[in-house]
Amino acid sequence: MGEVLAVQGLSKRFGGLRAVQDLSFSVGEGQTLALIGPNGAGKTTCFNLITGYYRPDAGSVRAFGRDLVGLRPHAVCAHGLARTFQVARPFGKMTVLANVMTGALLRDRTLQVAHRRACEAIEFVGLSDKEGRLACDLTAIDQRRLELARALATAPRLLLLDEVIAGLNSAETDQAVALVGQLSRRGVTIVIVEHVMRAVMAIAQHIVVLDHGRKIAEGGPKEVAGDPTVISAYLGSSYSHA
Amino acid sequence: MLLSPMVAVIAQALVNGLLIGGIYALVSIGVTLIFGVVKIVNFAQGEFVMIGMYISYWLATRTGLDPVVSLVVSMPLLFLVGVLLQRFLLRRVLGLGDMPQIFLTFALSLLLINLGVLLFTADYRTVDTSYTNSAIHIGPVYVGVARLIAFVLAMLLSGALEVFLRTTDLGKAMRAAAQNRDVAMLMGVNPDHVFSMAVGLSLAMAGAAGSLIMPFYSVYPGVGQVFVLMAFVAVVLGTLGNVRGALLASLMMGMGESLGIQFVGADSGLIVVFVVLLLTLALRPSGLFGGQTR
Amino acid sequence: MKRRLRPSAVMGLTAVALALVLLPQIVSNPFAVDICIRVLLFAFIGVAWNLLGGYAKQLSLGHSAYFGLGAYTSTILLIRYGVSPWIGIVAGGIVAMLASLPIGALCFRLRGPYFAIATIATAQVLMLLFLKFRDFAWGAEGTTIPNLGNSPWMMQFDAKAAYYYVALILLGIGLAITSWVERSWMGYYLVALGEDQDAAEAVGVNVPRIKRDIYLISAFLTGLAGTFYVQYIYFIDPNTAFNFNVSVEAALVSIVGGIGTLWGPVVGTLLLEPTSALVQSWLGGSRGGVQLTLYAVILMAVILWRPTGLLGILVGAYERMTGAAPGGAPTATAAARKGASFDG
Repeated sequence: MGEVLAVQGLSKRFGGLRAVQDLSFSVGEGQTLALIGPNGAGKTTCFNLITGYYRPDAGSVRAFGRDLVGLRPHAVCAHGLARTFQVARPFGKMTVLANVMTGALLRDRTLQVAHRRACEAIEFVGLSDKEGRLACDLTAIDQRRLELARALATAPRLLLLDEVIAGLNSAETDQAVALVGQLSRRGVTIVIVEHVMRAVMAIAQHIVVLDHGRKIAEGGPKEVAGDPTVISAYLGSSYSHA
Repeated sequence: MLLSPMVAVIAQALVNGLLIGGIYALVSIGVTLIFGVVKIVNFAQGEFVMIGMYISYWLATRTGLDPVVSLVVSMPLLFLVGVLLQRFLLRRVLGLGDMPQIFLTFALSLLLINLGVLLFTADYRTVDTSYTNSAIHIGPVYVGVARLIAFVLAMLLSGALEVFLRTTDLGKAMRAAAQNRDVAMLMGVNPDHVFSMAVGLSLAMAGAAGSLIMPFYSVYPGVGQVFVLMAFVAVVLGTLGNVRGALLASLMMGMGESLGIQFVGADSGLIVVFVVLLLTLALRPSGLFGGQTR
Repeated sequence: MKRRLRPSAVMGLTAVALALVLLPQIVSNPFAVDICIRVLLFAFIGVAWNLLGGYAKQLSLGHSAYFGLGAYTSTILLIRYGVSPWIGIVAGGIVAMLASLPIGALCFRLRGPYFAIATIATAQVLMLLFLKFRDFAWGAEGTTIPNLGNSPWMMQFDAKAAYYYVALILLGIGLAITSWVERSWMGYYLVALGEDQDAAEAVGVNVPRIKRDIYLISAFLTGLAGTFYVQYIYFIDPNTAFNFNVSVEAALVSIVGGIGTLWGPVVGTLLLEPTSALVQSWLGGSRGGVQLTLYAVILMAVILWRPTGLLGILVGAYERMTGAAPGGAPTATAAARKGASFDG
């Protein structure tokens, strides 16, 4: 059937603020979907809802044939969904290797096996030469790489990336896009939240546009780029690119 | 008007609880203010109440100054102590994580209590004023004059602080820093200054609490511990960083404790604290007014 | 990957171990032996605390709850049912362990300082409960345990040295458990959750379960210490068993010595216990205010200048001198310390 993630009627409010309203979308196997929208549109909230950090007020989240609502984040991860955070959250006082091993230990508690898997992930993101460094001593960009490596070490089938590209320069953006592309070719289903349009257009096969917690458009890159509702949502708000 | 004895007893307990709740409010507002602005839980807050009490005691026994009046001395003094506390101690552990922050103020608390024991011995000391034992009747209820005065002044001070936070630039800066430190800094708020003022105000509140209760409460080095525990639960109950929440929750805690003492037993203050904590955690971990648990 | 110890390290360790075992035979001054026993005991309590507070960074200030529960369990079993404290000590550990389940379920809903406060409150409540229990647990006056002379099967010895060895074994157990945890998958999970609980969950760490499990171990060990202490001083009452000082010292020795390290609590106790014993004998009698003032000052000094504790200084010094990290095994904490200079 090919649908690995299905979000249906998802809603969440915080006090008076409706962060996410009746959101529905789905992601096919091996696809890369981008969630875009102005600041405050509810994208990160959506991630938090999917991965179990928030409980939705209404709606359902199904992934790999299982209902995720009510599961704790670690159970969601065990089920095959890994996420990165918008602002990297490394385990500061642990080394790069130890950080990634923590992720690797999910699938196999044997230190040797985890070590091997961790090294693979570290190499994939290009941090091998900094393996022994403390995570708090890394640059912000490297911390993001670490975040990705750590998530990859959990052997996810679905990866949720929250703004991995924002703030990177041109060359770094190309690198990141290439990495995501490689992951996609390996069969990992990916959902990214992004502001950098160049990357979104390059990576995503399907785009969902949010504004004020609601889906306002959906489709392929070309469709969405030309959609007047999308354009007015961006121009109409005080949002601007970095 | 004839009320059944049980209702009268309950009413009396509620009134007593409300009055002492006003004092808890001063302490818990202080805690929540520091937590909201500086993001540190001050384990030593109760000891500053204790210091306020000793200041008033000293002034009362040396100069005959009424303890309530002496808050014009204890408040500024403790304000100054607060500024120094922030400048020399708290600032050093900002951003270092939970452990240094908890144990620094915890160590301070230990230090102050035990210095108190060494300097003043563990003896209980009291100050008797002309109104210490007088009470007025409101309906079926006895209201201790000293407690009433303390409550009224406590509410005035809390109200004044609330006004300060809402209307003055410094107060708004404090609220801004409490909500989002980085944005506040970007908008020109000087964090050091704001933090010092917040800690100063917080300790001034504690000092005021101490002075206000001296007429009807005994001082001994460990006296702050009781207040601080109540205050912490009230802060959690009222939602972390929320001044109004702390106030309301303190009044409720005071009444709850009073009912507990009346119907369960004299030692049950702590049991009340514990039960309230339990219920809060089970039902509304983020406090009665929404917000963060961290 | 095994930790390779250099021959010199092996010899050094053997020498230390030998010295420890022979110590009571060499030292005859009972006061000195008493200090050694207290060092061992409080190091053990510190080690137990450190598992929860040092690695997982759940800063409990209520460990006296488990100390007291252990103490009371074995005493009740001894006096009311004639059960040997050797069984009682395990029973006490189990009772403490079981108590940690509801206490943890409640307290772990809070984080940071509020967790600490909640643990203080639970310990105080337990003390209050035991102060009220007359029929079952002797209430406020407590009780002495009957002096049976030299009866090893009842954990009573004439020779102080015997208590020394029991305490040494307890500490050994605590260190062995800590060492195993440090080197295993659990070490990674504990340190990760201590660093950032939410991020840890995102990579599959079952945070609630790990917290619960480490709390079980920590409580169990602390309970053992409680029983030992009663057997050593032949007396129990709620104030002694649930004494706040126990909670404080449990955390203190770890912080001063090196929070989240294997030897930290030992180093911390070696500094604090003899110092406080000396200070107390100087000033004659127990001026409790002095001991706690001293602890408070030391704690503040450590926090302000070296929050990572003495071990952080020692490790740093070692690395500067030799240009290498000690050991070198890829354990979570060793991996974490490698290359660190602790100046942050």
